[in-house]
Amino acid sequence: MSHPGRGIACVLLVGSLSVAGIAHEGSPEPPPRARTPGFDAPPPGSYELPPIQRLSPHRLLDERGREAPLLELEPGHLALVSFIYLSCGHACPRTTAVLQGMDRTLAERGLAGRVELVTVSFDPERDTPARMGAHRAALAPRGRWRFLTARDPASIDPVLADFGQDARLLLGPDGEPGPLISHVLKVFLVDSEGAVRNIYSTGFLDPRVILNDLLTLEPVGAAPAPPASAASPS
Amino acid sequence: MALRRITAALAALALAGGPALADETCQSPYLPKLAGQEDYVYVWTLGIEGVGDGSDKLVTVRTNPSSPHYGKVVHSLSVGGRHEAHHAGLTDDRQYLWAGGLDDSRIDIFDVGSDPAQPTLWKTITDFEEETGGVVGPHTFYAIPGRMLISSLSNTKDRGGKTALVEYANDGTYIRTIWMPEGAEYGYDVRVNAHLNRMLTSAFTGHENYMRKLSDLLGDADAMKKFGNTVVVWDFHARKPLQTLDVPGAALEIRWALNPIHEYAFTSTALTSKLWGVFRKPDGSFEAVDLIDIGDPAKVPLPVDISLSADDSTLFVSSFMDGTVRVYDVREPRRPKLIHEEKIGSQVNMVSQSWDGKRIYIASSLLASWDGTSGDDPQFLKAFTWDGKTLTPTFEIDFRKEGLGRPHIMRFGQHGLMARAAVTGDARGRDH
Repeated sequence: MSHPGRGIACVLLVGSLSVAGIAHEGSPEPPPRARTPGFDAPPPGSYELPPIQRLSPHRLLDERGREAPLLELEPGHLALVSFIYLSCGHACPRTTAVLQGMDRTLAERGLAGRVELVTVSFDPERDTPARMGAHRAALAPRGRWRFLTARDPASIDPVLADFGQDARLLLGPDGEPGPLISHVLKVFLVDSEGAVRNIYSTGFLDPRVILNDLLTLEPVGAAPAPPASAASPS
Repeated sequence: MALRRITAALAALALAGGPALADETCQSPYLPKLAGQEDYVYVWTLGIEGVGDGSDKLVTVRTNPSSPHYGKVVHSLSVGGRHEAHHAGLTDDRQYLWAGGLDDSRIDIFDVGSDPAQPTLWKTITDFEEETGGVVGPHTFYAIPGRMLISSLSNTKDRGGKTALVEYANDGTYIRTIWMPEGAEYGYDVRVNAHLNRMLTSAFTGHENYMRKLSDLLGDADAMKKFGNTVVVWDFHARKPLQTLDVPGAALEIRWALNPIHEYAFTSTALTSKLWGVFRKPDGSFEAVDLIDIGDPAKVPLPVDISLSADDSTLFVSSFMDGTVRVYDVREPRRPKLIHEEKIGSQVNMVSQSWDGKRIYIASSLLASWDGTSGDDPQFLKAFTWDGKTLTPTFEIDFRKEGLGRPHIMRFGQHGLMARAAVTGDARGRDH
């Protein structure tokens, strides 16, 4: 067993190397440039979105600090659920920006009444209901977009576990919790039966794909029968 | 609280997104990349009767040179029995490693995130064939958001090569089966280019062939006809086949170029010993191009694995029968140039490289019934450094002498990204 201090220093070095790797340091090629995805989103209804997982009911806090269900969908309605924390400087703002665009698109397409956006903080100690409410107000959504948080960290853990959303508190060099939470950020498309119908990695969050997924499910919303492709080989 | 805590705030950038193009060069684009020094290599290992406990097992090797246990086996977790342990893949959060058996289709899911030094068996799927409607031989475990996409090799009806893609949720719940298309029924690898919404699948052979001794198989003309000759291009999001490309001779591993402006992939064919390129054409469709022979095809070197560097410049190709690794300069992807060739042992199979391309790991075993075809049957993991010209040995583990078995696929782990660390005190400064 090594000395604790040495262990921390070693891990910090690993972190530095990780960043260097992302930047492709020493690569003969320039870093990959951002680009528009090179494909047309498959048209609505041309594919299936079978249920991936079933969610349990969860109660959190709304922007006024009142208990509220995480999902409150009428039959046939859909939700896009994302997890963020307000101190996040990278992936969360990018996700929120995409969802803000979705909010406008849904309003323009007349779908705002049937698709709800839900943004949940996994940092309830800092992201109070008031702060979440202020964040919502700044975004000025045109449709239904709720911002939820929890009473305490212990209350959000079961929600994260149910969705399969990982989150790790990061410690600073002093060994105390810092402001950052690492996570592989995802957005979940959920139907009114509580079934997750698609999961989007924010690295590849494409509004065209999300919209076509909503249009694929929107007429029904509930889970379909098992796909015929599961039958035995002919 | 259950939220896991780790040190290394900078590691957040690797996990939380950023470019998030790919993992250590050949993983799903949906995984966070492990770009620094790998602390561990997990080796999914076939059991050998009379060697150790004789069972398939996950072997953890310490690979950080700063550790006094560098190059040593620090953990071994037997699953009991021999299931033809073959490939394994990490979930999209790198918390779990799914590891499959090609014989009875058993899938063992290991928790490698809670303590990367000591994986535990989290769940076992034993009804894969029933749940999937008759799919046999789960092969590639490929992470997509919240799910595991699994390519397979065979079916319960005739144990031949007709097979399917299967999806499971990360919690082990079956989602769906997608049978391979008419005229391209065989399966092997699956790889996604998320920027193009395209997926490629390759084609090997069925249970009736891959469980036979290779020497018998090579002498059975009818059996040798039952290998795949296709690569299928799919609309990934819709999971719909778009094109069937003619790639004769059992295309195995597929590697998309990692730079999003590089719209091509490589694969190699086992029986015809060729390196192929799959290139996107201006109209958006794809073409398969026979690029170069790998060794002397007449001697059937059997190229089995390929590993593309993170900058798309260098391709490692390992061939089983001649125990050789060849390195190609593929900066001009339609004109690969051989820049290095080295015999590693009497047989080699998987080759894996670190994200920076400086460390190379090579394992010896292909299939229980195929190992030893060229003569003796050594079983090893060998590690090297690569400086662009030379492979320099760093450590070697004799898997027979250690009582482990046949080492197959290798996956990387790192404390900095995954350890349930410091706050609880139990893992702070852990050093194995």
